[in-house]
Amino acid sequence: MDIVEVLKHTSPALFLPELQATDKTAALAEMVEGLVSGTSIQNPDTILQMLQSRENLGSTAVGPGIAFPHGRTLAVQRLTILIARSGKGVDFDSEDGGPTHLFFVLVAPPQDSGHQYIKSLATLIDRLQDADLRAKLREAGDYESFCAALKGV
Amino acid sequence: MHPQLQLLVALQDMDQMIRETEESREQLEDLGFKHEGLANLKTAREDLAGKIDPSLASWYKRLTARFGHAVVPVVNNLCMGCFANIPSSFVSKTNVDKVQKCESCGRLLYWP
Repeated sequence: MDIVEVLKHTSPALFLPELQATDKTAALAEMVEGLVSGTSIQNPDTILQMLQSRENLGSTAVGPGIAFPHGRTLAVQRLTILIARSGKGVDFDSEDGGPTHLFFVLVAPPQDSGHQYIKSLATLIDRLQDADLRAKLREAGDYESFCAALKGV
Repeated sequence: MHPQLQLLVALQDMDQMIRETEESREQLEDLGFKHEGLANLKTAREDLAGKIDPSLASWYKRLTARFGHAVVPVVNNLCMGCFANIPSSFVSKTNVDKVQKCESCGRLLYWP
């Protein structure tokens, strides 16, 4: 799956350019609120509980300054990706102990036969190995320039 | 949503997370994810299951063994487990106080 395919699962309404939260619990709640307000998804409590369970399994802050909260839940009917950013950084229990500035939240329905969300995760993680790209994404002025940087155009 | 259905949905999400972690562990760890909390997640799962009415918990267990998923969404008045039509009366005010089952397959119904 290429990055263009991955970006089909997000939208300008699912882009939070500046998170207010600075701790993990509040950041997850803010991102779930963004998911609900940017889509027709209901039952935020169900999504939040799933994402919290996933974090209890092990932090999803696996890249330098990046986290990928993810999982499957009945609360969504299709793969949905929310992108969030924090200038201040969030303490997200990252492996290197540093603050997390970029978030890609992937929520998928239970039946996701092609494992699209794992493929999307893999594509994003691979793409975000590039330190220059990460710097561009932190500085991108809006959703369009953020996506353009991700696509490398 | 009925509180018991909320618990059942959370339980199914958790069961799927546990199953997927066990089945795709190598693939997920290749991506950098760690799963050191798996034992704690299983404990949390048991705690959650303990809050569910025993008859519903038993029904959930039987359906999961049979179909893989016990709770399914209703989309366009169809059970997404067996595609039987779900009468619109199932979501009427008189029925919101109980957990609904598909009359055809018995799966527990969730309106996303």
